[in-house]
Amino acid sequence: MTDLHDGTPIFGALLKIEGTDLFVQTNENGTYSFGNLCPGEMVLFLAHPKCNPISKKYNLISNTDLNFELEHHINELEEIVISDNQLKGLNGSTKESRLNTDQIIRYSSQSLSDALTSLAGVSSIKTGNAIAKPMIHGMYGSRVGIVANGIRLQDQEWGADHSPNIDLNAFQNVQLIKGAYTLKYGGDIPGGIIVLSPPKLILKDSLFGQTVMNASLNGRGGSLTSKLMKSTSNGYYVNGQFTAKRFGDLSAPDYLLSNTGVKEFNVSFKLGRNKISKGWELNYSRFQNEIGILRAAHIGNIQDLVRALEADKPLRIKPFTHQINAPKQQGAHQNIHVIYFNQFSKDLKWHLDYNYQINFRKEFDIRRGISDDIPAIDLKLQTHSVLGNMVWRKDFDWTLEWGVNALLQDNFSNPNTGVKRLIPDHVKTQFGSYWVGSYKPSNSFHWDWGFRLDQVNWEVQKYYTVADWENRGYDQVFSQFEVEQRGTQILVNPQFDFLNFAAQTGISFELGKQFETSLSFVLSQRSPNASELFSDGLHHSLATIEFGSLTLEKEVSNKLLLSFSKTSGKLKGVIEPYFSKINNYIFIGPKRLQQTIRGAFPVWQYEATDALLWGVDTTFEYDFSNQLNANVNAAFIYAQDLNNVLPLIHIPPFNTTQSFKYRSPKKRYEVEIVNHFVSRQNRFPDLNFNYSRLQENVLIQREVDISSPPNAYQAVDLFFLIHIGDVKESKTSLRFMLNNLTNTRYRDYLNRMRYYADEVGRNFQVQLVYTY
Amino acid sequence: MKQFKLIQKTFLLPLLAATFLISCTPDEPEEILEQELITTVELTFRSSSEVDQIVRWSTTSANSESITLKANSEYQVEIAFYDESDPADIEDITEEVIEEADEHQVFYEFSGVTIPFVQGGSDTLDEDQNPVFIHTVWSTGEIGNGVVSVYLIHEPTTKASITRDGFGGETDVAVDIPLVVIE
Repeated sequence: MTDLHDGTPIFGALLKIEGTDLFVQTNENGTYSFGNLCPGEMVLFLAHPKCNPISKKYNLISNTDLNFELEHHINELEEIVISDNQLKGLNGSTKESRLNTDQIIRYSSQSLSDALTSLAGVSSIKTGNAIAKPMIHGMYGSRVGIVANGIRLQDQEWGADHSPNIDLNAFQNVQLIKGAYTLKYGGDIPGGIIVLSPPKLILKDSLFGQTVMNASLNGRGGSLTSKLMKSTSNGYYVNGQFTAKRFGDLSAPDYLLSNTGVKEFNVSFKLGRNKISKGWELNYSRFQNEIGILRAAHIGNIQDLVRALEADKPLRIKPFTHQINAPKQQGAHQNIHVIYFNQFSKDLKWHLDYNYQINFRKEFDIRRGISDDIPAIDLKLQTHSVLGNMVWRKDFDWTLEWGVNALLQDNFSNPNTGVKRLIPDHVKTQFGSYWVGSYKPSNSFHWDWGFRLDQVNWEVQKYYTVADWENRGYDQVFSQFEVEQRGTQILVNPQFDFLNFAAQTGISFELGKQFETSLSFVLSQRSPNASELFSDGLHHSLATIEFGSLTLEKEVSNKLLLSFSKTSGKLKGVIEPYFSKINNYIFIGPKRLQQTIRGAFPVWQYEATDALLWGVDTTFEYDFSNQLNANVNAAFIYAQDLNNVLPLIHIPPFNTTQSFKYRSPKKRYEVEIVNHFVSRQNRFPDLNFNYSRLQENVLIQREVDISSPPNAYQAVDLFFLIHIGDVKESKTSLRFMLNNLTNTRYRDYLNRMRYYADEVGRNFQVQLVYTY
Repeated sequence: MKQFKLIQKTFLLPLLAATFLISCTPDEPEEILEQELITTVELTFRSSSEVDQIVRWSTTSANSESITLKANSEYQVEIAFYDESDPADIEDITEEVIEEADEHQVFYEFSGVTIPFVQGGSDTLDEDQNPVFIHTVWSTGEIGNGVVSVYLIHEPTTKASITRDGFGGETDVAVDIPLVVIE
């Protein structure tokens, strides 16, 4: 007897022959046997505590094997109960990490990236506190995929200062898989995938809701998120959810971070019918936010940057306000998704998705001569995607999936900005097909493999200055793209085609009852993104002019991931070493100085090199008793630019987090203390440059140090949780959270704002969770 | 088989969609005429004994012009900013600077020679009566060779200082012009 969805054996199910007192129970392998039965008609009654019981009529003639599949539910309300264990069993040959529900609720008023940093090997690359992107194994942006409800998020992921436009609160489950475990979502994400999924469906009449209210002292703000889910026994379901956040200026330990307020409002809605063997779903979501960027970080030229670097606090500090002025970002993202699936035979299931995403991004600068209300970057990105797949299962051992994905993406860059487009108008089409399969004869062995091929095509319309077009030699190499010269500008129509191949295979197996090990290999190919190819403009908070490169080719990454884990006993843990070599690794680095009316600016250009990245992630937990447990995780990465014989830029230094959690005997309350330690990154490229300045009437050369990472730091968080009412039902709970308990002054290497200000100081949050 | 037909339909749909969508070119984009650009700085030197001297620094030229001043003399200096990116439509940015006097500051720093300067009689004042230094009076000293750094500062953090760094803010213009003080 097995689970209808994933084929796992159901242990402890009862089979009874009606009208008799003959019954048996299934063992761990889900098998049972009835002996000495008389031939003839009989009615079998099958039941299991977590399944709906079924009756089956059968005419017994001779010895027979009868297999049954039961719909195995997990009672969703029970799953909300706090689970400490971040490690899950074999679910694939690559270990996956998972955020538990408690962690997701804790970060309710923060971002997805902040929540993910509690997992080993995951860091956050930030531009200020509110703009954060997840970084896995030193890779972020286009090298990390975010999949929500089975579809990849299509927003302007290319910028280090573009946080994913997605609401963590709309999802129940967050899984992180390092390395492209399933090529279903793409073959171009060597960093890994973050999979966000909604709660599992319950096939019975139910109404479930949850509201989380959060108030924070630092920033004098808070958030409110609420969801309501209704399902019926005949498969219909309806979900609605919204989140609202509002924060004013945040504080560092010694000063206010002026203009760092945040406003966010998101809403999502889902309607569908799941009849187990077939179903459909329609979902809509809208994300909208406005984020202030530290006023003091907006600079005009190198001299301004030097002045900021030499000051030990931001050069502009104003009184506290909730108002968000320029410089700031505004983002809006809407997503419409239609799903249909049909399990038309025991072995075969097919699935069809259509998805439309529209993303608006506006970036506002301090402007002269034009109102600050007119954005300097104004992009509209629309994506249509169709995904169809077929899954074939044989005997619960073999699973094969074949899928096809077509994508059409259009980017429009509004000329009303009055300033040169950073990213040009373009249309990208992508057509891919994948084959994945797995062989899992038992819970103790798993082998999977996959292949994927994607054809990517770019059609671009871009203006270059004639000077740039000629200086870079493009008039020689790309003259076929030239359309028309207009004064000092030339209109070109670049067209590029890329064929990306990806392959993956892995095995995992148990070693005895307590240990598991896995090995997987991933080959992924990534074609350059819009920023890497076409970037063209001044970056105000970094005082650099950035240029893309039309000559870039696709990146080819070979990654080997291993894991060794102990999954039971008082001590549990996992060690995951990995090793990757990337050819044509695309990065941005300084090239020369360019003289402008504001003085000299460093020009950074996208280029390619061969890179080596290897490291180890580790997580351990120890249960001292039923009440007390400890958790330690640590991560280390070594990353090298092989061609230039330099370390890669912005690689997270060695970091470790330790926590102790105590639960009262009746589980009424919990206390957790978490210590974060981040060391100083001593492996970094020296990208400093010289600049001449006036000192006592004499012009002297000074070095501008933008490369040196900040010192090591340590920060402590404290969490209290109190269950109100019945502890088992866990309907209401209250949390008190103290972040950066000791109000430590520190700067983080991965935060672009480290040039201008310290990280956020102590924060006290109160959170009320109410479930109904 | 009915099921096979269903499969065919599932996969033909995206296939057809893809082939239909594959050749799509974006519409021709509108040319952007940058509006905030300052391309040219022009300094006019007037003294009682000489002809007016006009020295320009422009992003479009080679910029070999230098300023020649007489020792121990006084000069009325006026600065102007232009957007000459479209030669047919030259914009006078100085007007904007004057209109937004509260948010702008002109400043000069010298190396190699010492030339103190004060606000001129017709200089623009901001709402707190601080001089913007669009019109200044320079007093040259002994002969010498040097460079003048000409600045236009946007949203300075303070409106009174004796060094460029003291004003803070964001730099909109920072150009170095060679200067020689002669007999």
